[in-house]
Amino acid sequence: MRAAFSGLAFLGLALLMACSGDGVGHDVPSHGTIDRASVQGLPSGRHEGPQGRVGQFVAECAFSHSAPDDPIVHPGRPGMSHLHDFFGSRAVSASSTAEDLLDSETTCDLSADTASYWAPAVMLDGRQITPVSMTAYYRAALDVDPSSVVAFPVGLAMIGGDQAAIEPQSLDVVGWSCGGSSSRHVDPPTCSAEATLRLDVTFPDCWDGERLDSAGHRRHVHYSFEGTCPSSHPVPMPQLTVSVNYPLFGDVERLRLASGSPRTAHADFLNAWDPVRLETEVALCIRGGVVCGISDGRVDD
Amino acid sequence: MKRVLSFGVAIAVVGSLVACGGSEGDSSGGDAASTVAPEQTSAPVTDAPPVVEGTDDGVLQVPDEYATIQEAVDAAVPGDLILVGEGVYNEAVQVTTNDIVIRGVDRNKVVLDGEFELDNGFRVVAANGVAIENMTAQNFTKNGFFWTGSTGYRGSYLTAWRNGDYGIYAFDSVGGLIENSYAAGSPDAGFYIGQCYPCDAVIRNVVSEHNGLGYSGTNSGGSLVIVDSIFRFNRAGIVPNSGSYELCYPQRSTTIVGNLVYSNNQPDTPAIDVAILAMGNGILSAGGVANTIERNRVWDHDKTGIGLVPFLEEDANDVIPPREEWSDSCDVSKSKAPTVPTEPLLWDSIDNVVRDNVLEDNRRADIAVASAGSDLWTLGNCFSGNQHATSAPLALESIAACGAEVSSDDDWLSGDLNVITWLVDVETAPPSVDYREAPLPEQPTDLENMPDAATAPAVPASPTPPVVDVAGVVVPDRPS
Repeated sequence: MRAAFSGLAFLGLALLMACSGDGVGHDVPSHGTIDRASVQGLPSGRHEGPQGRVGQFVAECAFSHSAPDDPIVHPGRPGMSHLHDFFGSRAVSASSTAEDLLDSETTCDLSADTASYWAPAVMLDGRQITPVSMTAYYRAALDVDPSSVVAFPVGLAMIGGDQAAIEPQSLDVVGWSCGGSSSRHVDPPTCSAEATLRLDVTFPDCWDGERLDSAGHRRHVHYSFEGTCPSSHPVPMPQLTVSVNYPLFGDVERLRLASGSPRTAHADFLNAWDPVRLETEVALCIRGGVVCGISDGRVDD
Repeated sequence: MKRVLSFGVAIAVVGSLVACGGSEGDSSGGDAASTVAPEQTSAPVTDAPPVVEGTDDGVLQVPDEYATIQEAVDAAVPGDLILVGEGVYNEAVQVTTNDIVIRGVDRNKVVLDGEFELDNGFRVVAANGVAIENMTAQNFTKNGFFWTGSTGYRGSYLTAWRNGDYGIYAFDSVGGLIENSYAAGSPDAGFYIGQCYPCDAVIRNVVSEHNGLGYSGTNSGGSLVIVDSIFRFNRAGIVPNSGSYELCYPQRSTTIVGNLVYSNNQPDTPAIDVAILAMGNGILSAGGVANTIERNRVWDHDKTGIGLVPFLEEDANDVIPPREEWSDSCDVSKSKAPTVPTEPLLWDSIDNVVRDNVLEDNRRADIAVASAGSDLWTLGNCFSGNQHATSAPLALESIAACGAEVSSDDDWLSGDLNVITWLVDVETAPPSVDYREAPLPEQPTDLENMPDAATAPAVPASPTPPVVDVAGVVVPDRPS
């Protein structure tokens, strides 16, 4: 089982390296692995503690569907991906572009959020676990000047976390947690029935200002460090952190992801927010430093 | 209340959870309706602008001069009145301009409808002095009326109906008045004031029914008064609580006086998990501190009429601040770096005063205090002068009388309340009903209008709410 997952992950990596999505893409590394940290950097920290210490807006999105599709990594090739759980736009398919998703039906409580979010499906003892919902937090990254943050362009594609990871990933990028706690763990912790299991993924928050995607889907975005975006990626964006809520508690030692071990956790984001509303949210809530919403992790579906 | 929980759906996996201390329900909100004698909202009329037809008179007419409320709001300058004509408006209105008044000409016929697609009827974002009057917001995925980050806010003669989070919601805002309003059909609270200390706010003459919680106030208090209002037919009535999932903990110093609180056992409402946990309680302090609960009439609850209980926070994001920091303002406490604990927190209800209430037919106990590990006599809560038949512990009013010394030698065990069993009760409690479909009474069409809505001058919200003569409030009569 483990070998099969690893093989799948390896296949995924190979495909990812071979892919030249959106016409960008001759900067694929020639060596065998992508060193995520050297490509995107690593954050110098993350927001911890109660929500509301900095301005934010939040979208709560019900589970939409599962499919072996990945419109970023395998565009136009349905069935090529490991199984993903999708949230946000219900219209998404392997061949979706952001333009296809604008104005589509969404599972999010903000109808303007027609972006698509996805994460690998979770398996427990061979059984697929349907997630409850996903919460998307948008705020300035730790120590980044909120007044400098600009909205994502329509069509921006991002991956947070590394589906090929073997070693623990940085907790400032990927972690497992219980309920609303901001305490993250490398491996899924034992949660209680009152504070169930979540996967948290924090996306890059600096943009090169030009590309919506890049070969490998990582080189156009970067993490800020100590409040600063690098000169190669000078545009501060909202820091998106997604938390996928699973109906799981207790011992989850045997939990697997469709991408492999729980340490291969990652998530994808294809921005298709209504651009006017997104700009409003970024201006009022992030640049304005206002808590425009608090997550309660609850979605009525 | 806003909590991340998902009992009910959770799948127990092998070897699972370690039981830990139990806890208690939580916040909630209430709602307002103007079925009770309304009070004139406002204000000295001295230099308010006259309402005159025209384009430059400080009165912006919707739809005559502006097709949408949002267009009028965007065109308004401080001091303006936006007067909204009868009709259904499919709008989610953002307000960022200070000191404007937005008013419907008829509370029951000026309706913002989110059609379960739009998020907030009104969202006031860091705009001070904004007053919203005399209209209805229904079928929004989040809130009917929402203020955040604002100083000075007022909602008068509002109806919030079937909204997905709260009915009328003030967060991280100070200086507020919510009055003569009604809220029904929200899974969280009908009325909510949270994350403020001191809040300097008043909720008066509201009706909250068929919500998960009638009133919720997380980490709010300090010059916060809930008075002359009705909380009925919710899962739970008035439920202030502490928690480190938002800032400015603990919840403290809210005065709950002169309210009718009854029949909050409603099984068919939409409900967040905490509303299910708190179900069957009238007034419940869940980890609240130094609240004053006086001269309310509270009856017909499956659990407690007035309960002071602990709140267990499994997924805490900061430790409980030491007592010497409880007088710090929200601004001060917000600036402190959190320490994310690895163990659950237990917020005890401490130093609350429960006096002179009239209670009847609250099946577990009319008045009760409980903890989940702390010795009850150390918590400083007191009970005196309450008309009641039952209490937990049995001798509560004699062993915890206000102004008297407490003793560990007294009998704190006989008949004490075990709130840990409430966590078990949740397993068999009626589940939440989708807010879009939950059964509600017929939507009221005759809720009291603001007097002279078409002609009254605009009075922006004052950052200083009216002073409530708390001492002069009497126990309200039972409705006939």
